[in-house]
Amino acid sequence: MNRAAYELVIFGALLASCCTANQGAIGGDLVNSAVNRQIDLTSQLAKFTTTITLENAGKTATTSFVLAIDPSLRDRLSFIGATTKDDEAEKLSVTQTTVPGRTTDVLFRVDLPKALGAGQSTTVNVEEAYTHAQTPYPAQITQAEDQLVLFKGNLHFYSPYKTQSETTTVKLASNKIESHTKTKAKVEDSSIVYGPFENVEAFSQEKLQIHYENNTPFLAVTSLVRVIEVSHWGNIAVEETYDVRHSGARLKGSFSRYDYQRQLDGRSSVKSFKTILPAAARDVYYRDEIGNISTSNLNEQDDAVELELRPRFPLFGGWKTHYYIGYNLPSYEYLYNSGDEYALQMRFVDHVYDDQVIDDITVKIILPEGSKNVDLSVPFPVDRHPDELHFTYLDTFGRPVVIAHKSNLVEQHIQDFTLRYSFQKLLLLQEPLLVVFAFYILFFTVIIYVRLDFAISKDEASESRMRMQGLLDQLQAAQDKRTSLYQRYEDAIAKFKSTKDLAGFTGSRKKIDAEHKELSSTIKELQGKLKLESTDMAEKVGELQKLDSNLKDQIVLSISLAEKVVAGKMGKQQYIDNEKVYSAKREDIMGKTETLLSSL
Amino acid sequence: MAGESNIRTALSNPAGWQSLLSFSILALAYLAAFSSRLFAVIRFESIIHEFDPWFNYRSTHHLVNYGFYNFLNWFDERAWYPLGRIVGGTVYPGLMVTAGTIHWLLNSLHITVHIRDVCVFLAPTFSGLTSIATYLLTKELWSQGAGLLAACFIAIVPGYISRSVAGSYDNEGIAIFALLFTYFLWVKSVKTGSIFWAGCTALAYFYMVSAWGGYVYIINLIPLHVFVLLLMGRFSYRIFVAYCAFFILGLLLSMQIPFVGFQPIRTSEHMASAGVFALLIAYGFLKYLHTHLSSLTKSEMRSLFFFAVAASAAAVLMAVVYLTYAGYVAPWSGRFYSLYDTGYAKIHIPIIASVSEHQPTTWVSFFFDLHVLVCTFPAGVWFCIKKINDERVFIVLYAISASYFAGVMVRLMLTLTPVVCILSAIAFSNVLERYLVDDTPKVHHIEDESEDDEEGDKRNKSKDLYDKVTKTAGKVRKIRHEPSGEPESLGGNVKTIVVMAVMMILMMFAVHCTWVTSNAYSSPSVVLASYNHDGSRNILDDFREAYYWLRQNTDDHSRVMSWWDYGYQIAGMANRTTLVDNNTWNNSHIALVGKAMSSNETRAYEIMKALDVDYVLVIFGGVIGYSGDDINKFLWMVRIAEGEHPKEIREGDYFTPQGEFRVDKAGSKTLLNCLMYKLCYYRFGEMQLDFRTPPGFDRTRNVEIGNKDISFQHLEEAYTTEHWLVRIYKVKKQDNRVRLDHTVRKTDIKPKTKFTSRKSGKRKRGFIKNKMLIKKGKRPSSKNKKPSRKTSSKK
Repeated sequence: MNRAAYELVIFGALLASCCTANQGAIGGDLVNSAVNRQIDLTSQLAKFTTTITLENAGKTATTSFVLAIDPSLRDRLSFIGATTKDDEAEKLSVTQTTVPGRTTDVLFRVDLPKALGAGQSTTVNVEEAYTHAQTPYPAQITQAEDQLVLFKGNLHFYSPYKTQSETTTVKLASNKIESHTKTKAKVEDSSIVYGPFENVEAFSQEKLQIHYENNTPFLAVTSLVRVIEVSHWGNIAVEETYDVRHSGARLKGSFSRYDYQRQLDGRSSVKSFKTILPAAARDVYYRDEIGNISTSNLNEQDDAVELELRPRFPLFGGWKTHYYIGYNLPSYEYLYNSGDEYALQMRFVDHVYDDQVIDDITVKIILPEGSKNVDLSVPFPVDRHPDELHFTYLDTFGRPVVIAHKSNLVEQHIQDFTLRYSFQKLLLLQEPLLVVFAFYILFFTVIIYVRLDFAISKDEASESRMRMQGLLDQLQAAQDKRTSLYQRYEDAIAKFKSTKDLAGFTGSRKKIDAEHKELSSTIKELQGKLKLESTDMAEKVGELQKLDSNLKDQIVLSISLAEKVVAGKMGKQQYIDNEKVYSAKREDIMGKTETLLSSL
Repeated sequence: MAGESNIRTALSNPAGWQSLLSFSILALAYLAAFSSRLFAVIRFESIIHEFDPWFNYRSTHHLVNYGFYNFLNWFDERAWYPLGRIVGGTVYPGLMVTAGTIHWLLNSLHITVHIRDVCVFLAPTFSGLTSIATYLLTKELWSQGAGLLAACFIAIVPGYISRSVAGSYDNEGIAIFALLFTYFLWVKSVKTGSIFWAGCTALAYFYMVSAWGGYVYIINLIPLHVFVLLLMGRFSYRIFVAYCAFFILGLLLSMQIPFVGFQPIRTSEHMASAGVFALLIAYGFLKYLHTHLSSLTKSEMRSLFFFAVAASAAAVLMAVVYLTYAGYVAPWSGRFYSLYDTGYAKIHIPIIASVSEHQPTTWVSFFFDLHVLVCTFPAGVWFCIKKINDERVFIVLYAISASYFAGVMVRLMLTLTPVVCILSAIAFSNVLERYLVDDTPKVHHIEDESEDDEEGDKRNKSKDLYDKVTKTAGKVRKIRHEPSGEPESLGGNVKTIVVMAVMMILMMFAVHCTWVTSNAYSSPSVVLASYNHDGSRNILDDFREAYYWLRQNTDDHSRVMSWWDYGYQIAGMANRTTLVDNNTWNNSHIALVGKAMSSNETRAYEIMKALDVDYVLVIFGGVIGYSGDDINKFLWMVRIAEGEHPKEIREGDYFTPQGEFRVDKAGSKTLLNCLMYKLCYYRFGEMQLDFRTPPGFDRTRNVEIGNKDISFQHLEEAYTTEHWLVRIYKVKKQDNRVRLDHTVRKTDIKPKTKFTSRKSGKRKRGFIKNKMLIKKGKRPSSKNKKPSRKTSSKK
């Protein structure tokens, strides 16, 4: 016997190794000793919470068991998860499996945290969520009517194992029940209890049908595109584009605003809903193709940003709308790195509204330009599409875009994904340098353009004007200097008069004379050059020279006068009178010079 | 010493100062022009305004998505159902191509700007360019100082802002720039007589042709200028070269625009340019002969010459008249007739008269749009006439013609505004030159004070003068007596007072401009806003609510009937097929819609059936007191419908015997039962807006409506927006009639069904036979029923 068991174990191990990991036997020794099902139909979802007490009636220990999905709801399954009774936080691994002989069934293998020995029992909580499981019936209602829905399911717990005893509690959205399956049913206000049923065979099916009023919003996101753009400058931009449709009973006939405003009807319509964004979300916008949707409110709370969205129009059955919301997040909350290795951890899908149904989601993650070795891990299976390239501000070779797609999601799918990639930090500098370089080129071009002459024909007139201007500038400078020399003459005379130091005076005079001569010759030279450009100007300069020599004469006179008075050859009064006349003349000549200069 | 020499060199180079200053002033003017147009964007959002811009936006979108050639060949099946519209051939593509080019340029640099934002900010961007073009033009005409003043004026003047705020994505936004730039180049080419400038003028003219129908103004004003110069005896070969080059190139280029096509040689609007061209050639030829016929005496020659010119002018005129009569040249179009006879449109083309911007301008709006400029601009004209030269003749002609047109149509205020700015700038510049000059300390003072950009212009002015003053002052510093250039020097006080007064006026002008822009011209009109008592704002977004509902919840190919005002918006925002839109090219189609709106429901249903209408959209302001709604426009619908269908629709039927248009109980029966009335007031009679008024009280017209018992046979309410501003009705399909038929039949045989019910099911057979008998019977209705009963009882 022992040997046989041993052989069986070996055989089982061999079987397990030759089959793929997700394939195996059901293991017929298990028995559901007690099953308690809660079917929650209070929203548009059908949420099943099943508490199963599993008993190992066989001889060998088992580490896993199999869950079967009710065939009538098979296509509607969105989420399945299991926990043990003792530790609700610890999730058991649930993997889809196939079993030879039950090919049509959808089966999941749940791994138990520890092996279940022979005769032992354990309690497992299984959570399932089904979308679009309640169908509106009638499919069309008028504005004033309530929405009735039909739920079809299985009266029994659909299990590959025999069930010893089971009860099912169905919670409904309202106490208005049109009809329901009557087998062992007990109606309590807005819930129906079925059972207890004893000794139900494995894979047994019996129709469960409930027709009742459900006015909760039947809102489905038919398609959602979530774009996450990561910038290493500290920002993560998220933009989500939604296609939302009211999936309840279609509106029949007209929509009357008057009735709607009196709030008497349209109970199944959706006027607004709340989206919860991450607490760090900033710069939230809510728009569509034709602009901002002005009917929204933003509530900032401690742990989240609550966005109350009101579509442009109330959504009645069959109506749809399209919008996008976007916000920015600081990257330090989601982006981790060690050296050049980065990991982005964010939610694959975020909250849209309570009891959300998302038919299709495409997540696009735009990484910085130059990211490599991208590796995406998501807690549930998703379709990875081939990567794309995205070009935005200052990109040269494009940013890699990681694309993942998944269908049929509910709230339970709000889980984090992790995206690992490597990125060289030096690449951050590429874009600023690009801008710097572009401006450098721009300024350089302007400098070159301004400094160089690109004219194909020579403009003689303007050239000569420019040359003349240059000469005149030189002339001006020389003349200014020369004018200042006369001041020095006067200073020297004054000094001479007070110190009576003839030798010093003669020295300084000679110096000034030399300078004056030099300047005069410079001006003469300039005059010669000016003559080539314009004789008119040259004449004026000639006049200037004449005036200057006059001035020089005056100063010479004044010097001789000063020498005389110092030598005592002249009376003081006489000197003052003479000097007055000379200085007046000098002023006059200077004035003339100035006017002449300004006319140049 | 070193510092002094630095200052000296800086001051001794006034050209550098001047260019730096004018550059910074122009940059500030650009900035002011751009930013003062952003009120709507800041208050609301980056959104396309009003009606026409939505079409422009839509076609730009098409251009960007499908490329230029597809845009040129675009047949829009969503407009003018069932006719459609060849958009590429019926549109001035300049605006779209400009926006598309900017978008393409930015995107090829990977600056990912949405085309909507390009469109929204295009008009402010071009306003900045307009102010630069104005500067250039005024500089050519008068002086740099006046140019800077003009640039600052045009940057903020409300008359121009009204058509170029951010979001007002319309042809005028870029056309005014093109207009002024063309004029600048024309003046430049008249001054230089160079083919290069004339060629540039033709290119700018080409851009203008591609952008706006107002190009006709250029092609008439420039020939007029040349003609007047000829009359004044100011002929020169500069003008000859400039005009001939411009005319030939401009003509060829303008014909490249598909929408213009052969119009430049086939319509009367363009004949003036051709006539002047011929005349100029003749004049040039005679001048040439003149040089060879030296045998004649001077007086003989002059009279001969004069005679020859007059004869050739007459010949040209006769030729044009003959061609018009012979049908080679189309006569003046109605829109142009309405320019010299303001009553013309009202009688012959109600559709033109129905547009509010085609109404004659009131005196108030001149002041409102131009403020002090309207008072100073005649002074500018006077200065120009006083110191006349070739190019000033041009600006005077521009001023005179534009003032006339602006008086005829509110809309043409736009073409007047630039010339008013230019001439006012000349006037102000003259005044300031006179009173600000020589007053060095004051100049310094003002210069320090002027900080904001409106005063930037004065700053330039003062700086400009400051330069002149310092040029002399810099060297006169040592020697005090500088001979005063002013023959009659005014007292310092008088100068101060005058300058202060001018500054005050200009300051008030700036304040007025900002106020008008902010309050009158910055509403997107797609989004309405109302303010509560506590200052908080309510946004009434009903238009977009309705359009978006249409976009999302109706069939992609459904056809929406509405009055033509909303055609572009429906096409742009709701993306649905419309019957008529703001491109009012087909009057009879519009009249058909007007007829449907003004007939009773049964008649209207026939029209709607014929036009495949799925939805009817009306604008109703009675709940919130919005005055631009369809009931207030209704009389125009009636008039336009009457123009085409005078037998069925008569305007008089919609008035009370006293000749009033009333929607209350006293209103005419025709009005109270027409489709428009019913669509607007359906179920409104039950609605009580507040406790002081009875139910069904219309806030726009402040009356209780006359017909509260409205029900529809062929229509049903499909959607009404939150404030009832837009109401959409669905036209029921014809197969509903089957149901109607059936019920009628059921009531007919009610007694018999009772009868058969008592007996067995076999009776039903008799019933079928019965039916056959009815078919055979000759007369339906009451008489036929009796024999049928008899037969059935026999069985």
